[in-house]
Amino acid sequence: MAILTRALRLLPLAGAVFVLCMHGLYAADTPTENQVQAVFLYNFSRFVEWPAQAFVTPNDPFVIGILGSDPFGARLDEAVRNEQINGHPLTVRRFRSVAEIDNCQILFVDRSETSRLGQIVAALDHRSTLTVSQADGAAQRGVMIQFATENNRIRLRINVDSARASGLTISSKLLRPAEIVGTDTREQ
Amino acid sequence: MNNSSTPISRTLMRMIFLSSGVVLLVTSAAFCAYEFLTFRQSSIQQLQILSKAIASNSTAALAFDNAEDAANVLTAFKSDPHIVAAALYDARGQVFAVYPQGLATERVPAHSGTGYTFGRSALIGFQPVAEGSKQLGVLFVESDLNAMYSRIRLYALILVLVGGIALSLAYLISRRLQAQLLRPILALAETAKAVAERHDYTVRAARTGAYEFDLFTDTFNQMLTQIQESERKLHAQLGRLSLLQHITHATGERQDLPSIFQVVLTSLEDNLPIDFGCFLLYDPASKSLSVSTVGSKGRGFADKLELSPQVEVPIDANGLSHCVAGQLVYEPDVLRISFPFPQRLAAAELRSVVFAPLIVESQVFGVLVCARSLAQAFSSGECEFLKQLSGHVALASHEARLHGALQQAYDDLRQSQHTVLQQERLRALGQMASGIAHDINNAISPVSLYTESLLEREPNLSERARGYLTTIQRAIEDVARTVSRMKEFYRERDSQLTLERVQINRAVQQVVELTRPRWSDLPQAGGAMVELQTDLMDLMPDIMGAEHEIRDALTNLIFNAVDAMPTGGTLSVRTRKAMAGGEARAVIEVVDTGVGMDEDTRRRCLEPFYTTKGERGSGLGLAMVYGMIQRHSAELEIESASGQGTTVRLSFPAYNSLVIAAPKAANAAVVKRRLRILLVDDDPLLIKSLQDTLQEDGHFITATHGGREGIEAFAAAAQRGEAFDIVLTDLGMPYVDGRKVATSVKGVSPTTPVILLTGWGQRLIATNDAPAHVDKVLAKPPRLHDLRAALVELIS
Repeated sequence: MAILTRALRLLPLAGAVFVLCMHGLYAADTPTENQVQAVFLYNFSRFVEWPAQAFVTPNDPFVIGILGSDPFGARLDEAVRNEQINGHPLTVRRFRSVAEIDNCQILFVDRSETSRLGQIVAALDHRSTLTVSQADGAAQRGVMIQFATENNRIRLRINVDSARASGLTISSKLLRPAEIVGTDTREQ
Repeated sequence: MNNSSTPISRTLMRMIFLSSGVVLLVTSAAFCAYEFLTFRQSSIQQLQILSKAIASNSTAALAFDNAEDAANVLTAFKSDPHIVAAALYDARGQVFAVYPQGLATERVPAHSGTGYTFGRSALIGFQPVAEGSKQLGVLFVESDLNAMYSRIRLYALILVLVGGIALSLAYLISRRLQAQLLRPILALAETAKAVAERHDYTVRAARTGAYEFDLFTDTFNQMLTQIQESERKLHAQLGRLSLLQHITHATGERQDLPSIFQVVLTSLEDNLPIDFGCFLLYDPASKSLSVSTVGSKGRGFADKLELSPQVEVPIDANGLSHCVAGQLVYEPDVLRISFPFPQRLAAAELRSVVFAPLIVESQVFGVLVCARSLAQAFSSGECEFLKQLSGHVALASHEARLHGALQQAYDDLRQSQHTVLQQERLRALGQMASGIAHDINNAISPVSLYTESLLEREPNLSERARGYLTTIQRAIEDVARTVSRMKEFYRERDSQLTLERVQINRAVQQVVELTRPRWSDLPQAGGAMVELQTDLMDLMPDIMGAEHEIRDALTNLIFNAVDAMPTGGTLSVRTRKAMAGGEARAVIEVVDTGVGMDEDTRRRCLEPFYTTKGERGSGLGLAMVYGMIQRHSAELEIESASGQGTTVRLSFPAYNSLVIAAPKAANAAVVKRRLRILLVDDDPLLIKSLQDTLQEDGHFITATHGGREGIEAFAAAAQRGEAFDIVLTDLGMPYVDGRKVATSVKGVSPTTPVILLTGWGQRLIATNDAPAHVDKVLAKPPRLHDLRAALVELIS
């Protein structure tokens, strides 16, 4: 009885502590758009299946490439540090042009490269590289996955035909919350 | 089913119910437990599978931060209505999405956990959400337990249903089995109850054809048969025991052999029963059996068998000889026995027979014969019974015999006592009579002597005087005879009876003459007429006997005959010769036509002092006759009936020779020489008369008074040289009696004869009781004739 009475006396204090903690956490953890996109990039590696010829040796690194300006900075590098995909160590490489790309499993094409999207897609055709871009209309232009911001949330648009053409299999799990788009041939 | 069998059936039912119920319960419990556990397991598995699938589907939503999609994915939980809440936590542990939509986030745990656990009312699971090796979040699922509860309810329902059906079936089956199992037991129980309640051992349990029960039933029935048999034997045994008791009782009330035998046979014929029964008596001396008693119902058989009392039955070598040797013999079928007696039985249509010996003190004295007309008709129990019965009968017979002997001895003793008493009276009477006789004899001696002397020596007597004297003499003789007869009372049974040849016819004639006044004169005086017929056979054989006794006996018989004919009649006295058993006998019959005797009188008439004549009779007449008969080894027969007259028959053994003895020569001798005679007596009258009569014969008489004087006179005479030739002395004298006189005389002169005169003379003569030194004893009154004869005899 005495214990219960003491617990009730402590209840308002405990409530106050709880509210403060929750607020602090929430404020600190609200990620930026780039942060979220960085995590997404990394996450794609788990929902997409690459064909075996995508890697020269089994110990080849799984490369996440960035073409154009890097919106992520060190955040992406932190995210992939010490991570492995099916035995392939994950590395981040930054490319200035398509021509530099020799081995790349996921290629993020920054908005700065929007004008050269057509060339990039064409260059990577049949190269088993998952192309991801935040540029508007990128999916319709042949990029496999496009980050689209709707209602302050990042949504995915996926060009399945494009992925299939490159020999990539996108998990249905990824497809379900995403918006499927086809290549808009008018713009080509 | 009746009351008595209810418990066993109920018990059986309870057992079956209990066992099937327990089995059902254990099985159901095990089944339920198993199902419950399995169901829990499967619930977890089911939830796990569903959660895994949902988790798998929600990876992309988590990975790409798509809460809507996550919520969409979670709506898949709709497929399971028991999922009441679900939530997705992202990798940081924040609630990412909830199910159902709109569920308050407070409803789900603030922090995720691990694994699946059953709570109080729900199954809670935390499923990691991972894509590849990367954990993206955690899925929380909460399922209510309604499914389990409904399953449990279903199980309970099934359990109740199955239990009900199973128990009903168990009940029905057990009813059937029970009926099958219990029927033989109940039937046996019913039979046992019938036996116990009614004591009816004839009932039998029926075979039911069920398993081992038939064996049981058969054994039970066998037991009943045995009990029934035992019961029957017991009844038979009891019956025989009661019969034995009855017979023993009946025989105990009887004391004569024929009546004991008769009651035994009647009881056997009525109660055992037998068709024919008889008692045979065994005579060990002649080794022969004779029929004693034949059962009354078996008379018909007895006639066929020719068995009537006293008939002798031959002892054949087989059955009867064994029986006489003391064994009980049972012939189950006499047809197979070739010996005569069994053949006789067979001829009389008797087939089985038992011979039971009657044994007393190891001696067989008779045989009990029991027969039946059927063969093999006696059981061993009956044989044993007859053996015991014969033992009882033998004892009873023995007791009857002992009783008879005792009665006889008692009667004899009483008779003896009576006789002794009478004899004592008689002795007193006799002694008195003897004294009187002595005195009378003394008194009449002078009369006798003088009368005889006068008749002899006085030739000049007138006829008239002579006649008177003769009458006096006869009267004196009568007096003497009467006195001597009176003395007979005193006379004891005389073993040394002096026997002589007696001519029957002469004795009879003498008695007839002697008693004439009695049979002729007295009745006539009373107006009655007694006719006497004598029928005497010629050439009658002589007999050896005491004539005076025979005469006395005949006299008594004639007196009795006359007394029996107070109104007259015919008195017949006959003699004849008869042959009996190869011996010649002389028979005297005294027959009257008087009143006769009734049976009681006839039986008692020989008893002393028994008289029908009142004061007139002494009751000694026939008793004396009987005494005479016994002393002569003769026989006495009395035939009489009331109003039919009486015949008394005396039968004497005949003397071998028929030669009739020559009559004694009349002794007329007189002593020629004159003798010196010393007379010694205390009676002056007798002395005077003797002196007178002997002097007239020419003798010299010296008379002395008393013994002392006599002895002195004899001695003095001897001294003088004038010795007496003979001494006549009285016996009874005061101071010095005749014996002393005789002794003194013989002391002085041994050759001098001494004659003793005595009033007791008859007795001395009869008993040869002559005192020492006495040469001759003469009775008083002395007859001159006898005196002279004695003198001649002694002097010559």
